[in-house]
Amino acid sequence: MTEELNQDICKEDTFKHLYDSHATELHNYLYYKFGESCNPNDKTQDAFVKLWENCKKVLFSKARGFLYKVANNMVLNDLKHRKVVLRYQKEKPVDRTNENPEFLMEEEQYFKKYQQTLAKLSEEQRVAFMLNKVEGKKHEEIAQQLGVTRKVVEYRIYSAFKVLKEELENFRIK
Amino acid sequence: MEQNSLLEKWLNNSLSEAEMETFQKSEEYPFYQKLIADASTFKASHFSQLSNFESLKQRLPEKEVPVRKLNSTRWVLRIASVFVLGFALFYFFQFKPEIKIETLAGQKTTVELPDASLVTLNAMSEITYSAKKWNKNRSLTLKGEAFFDVAKGAKFDVITDKGSVSVLGTEFNVRQREENFEVICFEGVVKVISGNFTEELRAGERLRLHKSELIRSKSAMEGPQWNSGVSDFIESPFIEVIKELERQYNVEIILNGVSRDSLFTGGFVHNDLENALRSVTEPFGLSFSISENQLVTISKREN
Repeated sequence: MTEELNQDICKEDTFKHLYDSHATELHNYLYYKFGESCNPNDKTQDAFVKLWENCKKVLFSKARGFLYKVANNMVLNDLKHRKVVLRYQKEKPVDRTNENPEFLMEEEQYFKKYQQTLAKLSEEQRVAFMLNKVEGKKHEEIAQQLGVTRKVVEYRIYSAFKVLKEELENFRIK
Repeated sequence: MEQNSLLEKWLNNSLSEAEMETFQKSEEYPFYQKLIADASTFKASHFSQLSNFESLKQRLPEKEVPVRKLNSTRWVLRIASVFVLGFALFYFFQFKPEIKIETLAGQKTTVELPDASLVTLNAMSEITYSAKKWNKNRSLTLKGEAFFDVAKGAKFDVITDKGSVSVLGTEFNVRQREENFEVICFEGVVKVISGNFTEELRAGERLRLHKSELIRSKSAMEGPQWNSGVSDFIESPFIEVIKELERQYNVEIILNGVSRDSLFTGGFVHNDLENALRSVTEPFGLSFSISENQLVTISKREN
């Protein structure tokens, strides 16, 4: 893959290749880190536009780092400590015979609490946890995405899970 | 690092078949499984769609085809810059400087040291260490607050302005802000040296140095609360609580006729400024207001 390192980002094929490789992941990263209100799709597009504008100055191998840095800065300029409240969408249950109002209300309370707990996690914890457990990314992949070691990723996921299990302990069926 | 290792391995997908069997039989297993499964209700793609490449193309500015001129000055400069770069790299690898990691207001981060120890920094904190010398001497300086998860090995030293902490393999929190120095041990044994004092702390013990007074107490927590998004205080002067609020939220707080020394026991969350301010002002019957440029004023409540 060494030929890739010298590729010119100003060529449309190369640029499209970068988009196909990194856009979805960058979008998800921004979504889990900052929430819907930061407009992850817009920011992802903006980051790529910036990359295109600077295509002569950025090495192919540094493109991913550039995109993440630009996107992070763009979001941080907008937000000042807004709570990151991720939305939830429950699967429609197939069998409704078991659902009395009490059960539904408890379920609603559970998901509300889950939502609050996710908001309570540090950005690092939340991003690592969601990328691994929801998006199915391996620890090593996440480590490369975030520019940290695999062990740090494992630790962030573990920390996140500890907070979740503590906060949601009351909803456990014993 | 030793506790909950089955859980850790399960989260890492690194359980052996035998371990997996044991883990699946545990009482908590269904609960843990549910927690992981339910995370998917928050999946990004349910709520936010990425535009395709075609729509991105619409937004890209036109590119001009540059006319290339051969410029000899440019070539001389290029060759010169290669030499400068080469020298800089040479210098860097010979005289490796210390590594410094710092956090800003409202920021926390976790880093891995060369021996696989983990350090989590709270807001507005800084650690400095030499990566090259780390194998021979595990010693770093700390400004602010950090939680340490130290791999077993030779001595590990954390040095602050007001005291130092020495350990073998263990988990502990060090807080050094202004005049205060506090260490909580969560696992293992730590040795704390400050001025003329040398104290040993075991798991569940807390040591506080305020001015010149050393106070021992117990801590029932498994880890520092700030790592779970909450700052907690036990009989801390009000001004310390306010300073930590400023650090977590990157705001400036003005105290208007309010005592700086009243002792506060309680905590505040890191993700909701108004909630945090209420937690801190209500016990003392104070009120607060937030101006447009994130300036907070706390004063006595008018009755």
